[in-house]
Amino acid sequence: MSAYQNQQHAVMQLRNVTKLISGKKIVDQLSFDVYPGEIVGLLGPNGAGKTTTIRMIVGLMDMSEGDVFIQGKSIRSDFTKAIRNIGAIIENPEFYPYMTGYDNLKQYQRMSEGVTEERLKTVTELVGLQDAMNKKVRAYSLGMRQRLGIAQALLHNPSLLILDEPTNGLDPAGIREMREYLKRIANEAGISILVSSHLLAEMELMCSRVVVIQEGKYVTHRTLGEPVLQEQNISISIRVDDLDRARKAAANVEQVEVVQMLVESNELVLSLMDEQIPQVVAKLGSEQVQIYRITETKQSLEDEFLKWTGGNRIA
Amino acid sequence: MLSFGQLVYNEWLKMSKKRSFLIAYAAILICIAAVGYLIVATAGDEMPTVLEFTSIIMAKNGVGVIVTIIAIIFTAGVVSKEHQLGTIKFLLIRAHSRSEILASKYVTVLLFTCSLIIFSAIIAATGGFIVFDHAAGDHIWQKIAQAALYQFIYTGIYVTLTFMFGVITRSSGATIGIGMTAVLLEGILSMLLSGYDFSKYLLFMNTDLSIYASSGPPIEGMTFSFSSVVAAAYVLLFLAASFVTFKKRDIA
Repeated sequence: MSAYQNQQHAVMQLRNVTKLISGKKIVDQLSFDVYPGEIVGLLGPNGAGKTTTIRMIVGLMDMSEGDVFIQGKSIRSDFTKAIRNIGAIIENPEFYPYMTGYDNLKQYQRMSEGVTEERLKTVTELVGLQDAMNKKVRAYSLGMRQRLGIAQALLHNPSLLILDEPTNGLDPAGIREMREYLKRIANEAGISILVSSHLLAEMELMCSRVVVIQEGKYVTHRTLGEPVLQEQNISISIRVDDLDRARKAAANVEQVEVVQMLVESNELVLSLMDEQIPQVVAKLGSEQVQIYRITETKQSLEDEFLKWTGGNRIA
Repeated sequence: MLSFGQLVYNEWLKMSKKRSFLIAYAAILICIAAVGYLIVATAGDEMPTVLEFTSIIMAKNGVGVIVTIIAIIFTAGVVSKEHQLGTIKFLLIRAHSRSEILASKYVTVLLFTCSLIIFSAIIAATGGFIVFDHAAGDHIWQKIAQAALYQFIYTGIYVTLTFMFGVITRSSGATIGIGMTAVLLEGILSMLLSGYDFSKYLLFMNTDLSIYASSGPPIEGMTFSFSSVVAAAYVLLFLAASFVTFKKRDIA
C-alpha cells in the first residue's frame, strides 16, 4: 500500500494547515495526503476541528498558516484552478427551495466550464433522481436533497469529493444507500473521497483509511480492512459453566493470557495465538469444563478510537 | 466574459423564479394607475399630454420612491438570502473568485433597477396614450430620458447602500429596515441639516441630481458636478466595503 502510494501523486496535500480564531488554535499544523481512488475518513470527537479543516480545504475559511494543494495547485494562491478539481457537500446540502432540482443543477452547470447537458443527465441518473428533477426542491426529502447534493458535487468531473458529515440526519436505509454510492463512485470513477464523521461504525464500513484528529492536532492514521497478521495475538471469549475452574485450566496453557472474566455471562476472555486455541479447548475438556460458545472478540474502530482520543471526554 | 454573463444570468434566475418577482411590477402598475386616476379625477380641463404624464410619473416624486423601495427589498435579499438558505456554500466552491460572484450580484441588482424604471416608463406612456391628449411638447422625450436617468442614479445609490448592508449584516430583514429608513429619513435630514454648511457632503443631499434642472441647489454653492462627485465617492466607498467584507469573510 505504501509503495503504491509513493508512486502516485497525491490528489490532495495538506501542509501544516493552521487556523487561529481569537488566539485559539482550532486546527494546529495539520498535514496529511489523499491518494487517487481512496476513501479517507477524517475522524475526531465533536469540536476536534473536522469541519473547520474541511472549510479551509474548500476555501470557505481562510487559513492562518499552511496551505492545501489540490492536484498540485494551491487553494490559497491559485484558488479557481485548485477548486475546480473538488466537488463538495459541506454539512447539509442546501438548494434554492423555490426552484426545481433541474434548475438548481443548471445553476452549477453554468458555473463550470464544459459541463454538457448530457453530463447533467448522466449524473442525475447516477443518483437516481431523474423522476424528481421537475419537482421543486422544497418538496424534496432530506435523502433526496442529499442525492441532489452528490449530483451537484459530481457535475464537473472532480478528482476529489469532499463530504462533511454526509450521513447526518439520514435514516438507516439512507445511510446505507449513501455508503453504496460513495463506494461505487470511488471504485468506478476512481474519484478520491474525503469524508468527515464522528460515526465510527459508519466510517469503518466505508473508508479505506482514517485520519484521526483531536483538538485540531493530528493523532494517528490507520489503514482499514488489512488482514490480521498471523503472529499477532487475537482475543477470544469462551462461555463456560464454571468460570473459576476454566480460568485455572486456561492459565496453565503456555502463552495464554487471561484478559477478563465476565461473571454475568460466564465468559472468559483470553488473549492468545491461533494455534493455541485447540490446546485450550483440549485442556478445558480434560478438566471437565463445559464449553458453550467460542467467539472472537474483535477490537472495533470504536475501541481504538477511544484509546487514541482518551475516551471519556465528551467535547 | 462569457462566464461572467452566465453568473449574471444565474443571479437573474434566482431573483425572477421567486413568486414575489411579479409583485414588484404589479405594484408599479397599480401605482401608475392610481396616479393616472387622480389626475383625471382632479385635473378638470387642464389635462396633461401623454408625454407630460410620463414625465410626471418618472420624477422622484411620482412613482420614483416606489421604484426605489422595491429595488431595496430585492437587493436586500441578494446576498443575505444565500447565507440564510445556506446556498452560499455551494456558490463559493466553484471555479470563480468571490469578487466575480459579488460583482455578478451587483450587476444583477442594477439590471433589475433598470428594468423597473423602463417598465414604469413604458406603462406610463402606454396608459397615457389611452387616456390623455397626444399632442407633444418641446424636447419632451429628452426630458423623459433625463428623468429616467436621474431616477436610475437616485435608486442606484440606495441600492448600493442596501447591497453593502446586505453583505455586512447577512440578514435580509435588517437590511430592508436599514435601506427603507435611509430613504425615509432623507427628506427630514436634508431639511433639518440644510442650515449647516458641512451637510453638503452628506449622501442625502446629493442623491437627487434632477433638482439642478428644476428647483436649484439645496444649499447655496452646490453644483451638479459637485453632487455627482460626492455621490460617486459614496458609491465607491459602499462598494469597497462590500467587496472587502465579502472576500474576507469566513463562511462558518
